[in-house]
Amino acid sequence: MDPDALAKAFVEHYYSTFDTNRNGLANLYQEGSMLTFEGQKIQGASSIVAKLTSLPFQQCHHSISTVDCQPSGVNAGMLVFVSGNLQLAGEQHTLKFSQMFHLIPTPQGSYYVLNDIFRLNYA
Amino acid sequence: MDPDALAKAFVEHYYSTFDTNRNGLANLYQEGSMLTFEGQKIQGASNIVAKLTSLPFQQCHHSISTVDCQPSGVNAGMLVFVSGNLQLAGEQHTLKFSQMFHLIPTPQGSYYVLNDIFRLNYA
Repeated sequence: MDPDALAKAFVEHYYSTFDTNRNGLANLYQEGSMLTFEGQKIQGASSIVAKLTSLPFQQCHHSISTVDCQPSGVNAGMLVFVSGNLQLAGEQHTLKFSQMFHLIPTPQGSYYVLNDIFRLNYA
Repeated sequence: MDPDALAKAFVEHYYSTFDTNRNGLANLYQEGSMLTFEGQKIQGASNIVAKLTSLPFQQCHHSISTVDCQPSGVNAGMLVFVSGNLQLAGEQHTLKFSQMFHLIPTPQGSYYVLNDIFRLNYA
């Protein structure tokens, strides 16, 4: 699979899981994984998923505008840079966001998220 | 220097150089460096600087809203994720942008940009 197609497939999987079953994201992180969510730094799969499941909304939908990827120079790792819009249930306007993932191959032939940085894009 | 302070210092240096002397950015890239600029993929320091100096504006100013950083797991490399506003000379409204850098230490004790991905944030 070419890197751009792989990055898009990962992004579709990540956000559809986020939008339907945030606990299911635990499989995509490991103990060394790091999330910076709006400036807050969190480490480890269980703490990251605890953060994501504690966000103050039950339902949301991510629509993706752009996906860019580059090889990170680490063991066939990949940097994925996403921009899009986040719709929260009951809110009229969407929120623009940008997010970057550093994906590392697993021995099983898949990828896990080592680095994850998320920011809403507002003035 | 702590990683957050180092990331902020790099960001200040990068954007002040971009805003005043884009050719000076050549020192921050190497032959293996990659830039994805609004989806266009460019490799190598000379091609990257050629792209940045060919942008259709002579003067601009970046004002930075947020800087987040995490260790990338590569040889003390650092991932830096920036959001801010770009003001082009003669334009009334600023453009929101997000950018990520993957910085790798050099033997001389500085950093170079291995990965650089830039996107304007519009609907």
